[in-house]
Amino acid sequence: MKSTTRIIVTSLLLLIAVASPAWAQAKSELTVALSSFSAETLDPALQGHNVKYYLSLMFDYLVGVTPDGQPSQAGGLASKWESSADHRRWTFHLRKGVKFHDGSDMTSEDVKFSLQRAMSKRSTTGYAGPLRTLIADIETPAPDRVVIVLKESTLIIPTYLSRSLSTEGMVLPKKYIEANGDDVFARKPVGTGPYKFVEQVVGSHIKMTAVDNHWRIGVPKYKNVTFKLVPEETTRIALLRRGEADVADVSRERVKELEKEGFPVHMRREEAIIHMWWILGPEGRTPPTRDKRVREALNLAIDRAEIAQSIFGGYAEPAAIPMGLSWAFKEVGFKVTPEMAYPYDVARAKKLLADAGYAGGFTQDVYAFQLPGFAEGKSFAEAVAGYWEKIGVKSKLIPVDYPAFRKQWVDRKAPGAVGYYNIANRDWIGTYALLEKQAYTPSKLNDTVNDPEIDGMIAQVMRQTDREKINALMRNIYTRMRSEHHGVPVVYVHSPYATSKTLGKYNPGAVMYDLFIDELARK
Amino acid sequence: MLRFVLFRLLQSLVALAILSVVVFVLARATGDPLHMILPMNASEEDYANARKYLGLDRPYVEQYFSFVGRAVTGDFGTSIRARRPVIELLRERLPNSLKLAAFAMGASLAIAFPLGVMAAVKKGTGVDRAAQIVAVLGQSLPTFWVAIVLVEFVAGRWQWLPAGGADSLASYVLPGLTLGWFVVAGMMRLLRSGMLEVLDSEYVKLARLKGVAERKVVWVHALKNALIPVVTFAGIYFAILVTTAIVVETVFAWPGLGRLAYDGITSRDFPVIQAVVLTTATIVAAVNLGVDCLYAVIDPRIRYSR
Repeated sequence: MKSTTRIIVTSLLLLIAVASPAWAQAKSELTVALSSFSAETLDPALQGHNVKYYLSLMFDYLVGVTPDGQPSQAGGLASKWESSADHRRWTFHLRKGVKFHDGSDMTSEDVKFSLQRAMSKRSTTGYAGPLRTLIADIETPAPDRVVIVLKESTLIIPTYLSRSLSTEGMVLPKKYIEANGDDVFARKPVGTGPYKFVEQVVGSHIKMTAVDNHWRIGVPKYKNVTFKLVPEETTRIALLRRGEADVADVSRERVKELEKEGFPVHMRREEAIIHMWWILGPEGRTPPTRDKRVREALNLAIDRAEIAQSIFGGYAEPAAIPMGLSWAFKEVGFKVTPEMAYPYDVARAKKLLADAGYAGGFTQDVYAFQLPGFAEGKSFAEAVAGYWEKIGVKSKLIPVDYPAFRKQWVDRKAPGAVGYYNIANRDWIGTYALLEKQAYTPSKLNDTVNDPEIDGMIAQVMRQTDREKINALMRNIYTRMRSEHHGVPVVYVHSPYATSKTLGKYNPGAVMYDLFIDELARK
Repeated sequence: MLRFVLFRLLQSLVALAILSVVVFVLARATGDPLHMILPMNASEEDYANARKYLGLDRPYVEQYFSFVGRAVTGDFGTSIRARRPVIELLRERLPNSLKLAAFAMGASLAIAFPLGVMAAVKKGTGVDRAAQIVAVLGQSLPTFWVAIVLVEFVAGRWQWLPAGGADSLASYVLPGLTLGWFVVAGMMRLLRSGMLEVLDSEYVKLARLKGVAERKVVWVHALKNALIPVVTFAGIYFAILVTTAIVVETVFAWPGLGRLAYDGITSRDFPVIQAVVLTTATIVAAVNLGVDCLYAVIDPRIRYSR
């Protein structure tokens, strides 16, 4: 019996020794633990935006951006670009000598093929629709030159094909895909990025290994990069503590604890706006929120500072502009004035309701759900419902999951009910693209605004080629969104990413759904 | 015996056929997967394109027979979310679930057997009381809580064992113990009560009177006869461990079948939901059949009844 005990104890000690963090990770490894991988598809044409976290390491974009979201001629496969005088022909000059991971050269044919693929009916990327509308033809006059011919004049095409938006600008290998087919490509993707694909286990991890020398990064600092899918935060933090993860997304409530332990926490400031909106009916807004005074009252009834503190642990700022993605404000010269901020004013909210004929209040349906990156979803909905109760609006919380809410929204089956989303912050073109889908009546499906004046301004932005006029239009859209109270902007949330104590300097950037992990590989 | 096995097989096939209809209908009743895979700014045209590309624009009856027709050949279609053949995802996940369940079951047996037998033999003593505390805690503590406590302290703060993943033998310990503790509790109680009953029986008394060593009386004569309910329990629980370890797999980032099912359900990934449900149902049916056959081996009287 004694020998048995000895064996058990020895085995346990061995197990602990083998599992000790010191042996767990070689220095040439970089491990990123994330709570969500989105759809885990490795084909850029079959995804929304979220996959950029890991795809940005394997693929390069036609147009590069700096981590703070500014177009960069040094960061993309196009080393320069110019447009014709009427802004209908855009010429992109490609970098020479760039090779795909299979050894083939990257040429203008690959760019053309990638764009056509991103616009194909099979594509589910975020901006496939606008590109189909915009692009008339793609010409390849030389292997290092591609010309995009547009149906109408616009300034926004380089941004649509850049890293600052979705995946449409990623350049894919034409020959490889044509020779092997889409399915093989989705399983074993080949790009020109600093890391090449090694392995994917859906629901577990994606492994990549460095190329010998990358045109943008040089010799990557880390030999291997692994993205681990770790849904539970306690586990992600345990991985950090054990040195088995170098970067991890964490919740706002664990930030102070981690900082106290010495883990650097990098904030993506104002990463998303928590924005609420009323579902439209088939004919637009329905009473009582058809009345502007009611919409204003519901805005004034919310104590945004308290929500920022109590629900988001102080890592949030009050928001004032419906759909006002703040990363775009500076670009278009928009400033949120003190008068635009919604004060917490219950008395005025009640008066507005009374003036609108709802002194006795009304019943407001509020859909309550969690979202990726917004674990506070349900408690947030409960808090807002609580504020509205104080002005006599009886909020009926409807717990659902997001797909169920989205069905009600796009099918317009619950007019007047409220939903919300943590809309990722983005630059002005991304903001415009969002407005074009969610605040523009002709977009039908996703529209949440239904305002002819805003429709007119949105329609002009696309066709406008004078940047100053575009900026003025964008400023006017924001102003109108605020003055008409087209939604309930609540807070901008900051998103924390904790890193290991040894990782060093890290800038997660200010580009939607991109953490610039590849920049960590720069020596 | 053959007739018995064939009859049970037929029963299982009918159950699977009914289940295929139920899961097909229920999966579609809960929502549209396109709301998950298409971006928030998708247009009506985007929806129509995706629906056509994924074959979701066909009539339900056509979709069902297409699904069943391919499923019998092992082709469960392509995951709407991951865009890979579902059979590949099953091949990646099922072995992980089986390995974790086997580890958890092995650990449970190793703990529950000596604990259950000793609790019965030393009834009313400190050993018995300690065993009962283990059982009560195992069955009352929520699995997610146990899992998070183990990750937070054993893995995160004390750094004794890995926090997640399925990379090494050490990484099996925490999820295996979390899963296995509940099974230990149930198995130990069953074994204790079975042993108490058997130890009080006439043939055990006779064995003792004949001078058979107490160790042999307990571990051979009594234990074998107390095993039948434990075998049933272990069989059923093994299937449950394989198929429903969603919480443990999520906390420990274990790439198993449970999380595949969960991800499938939350993203309305019909082919994955259908494949996982049918696979797990097949596992449960097979294990039940195996347990029934094992009965006949342990207790020869059973093979003569149907």
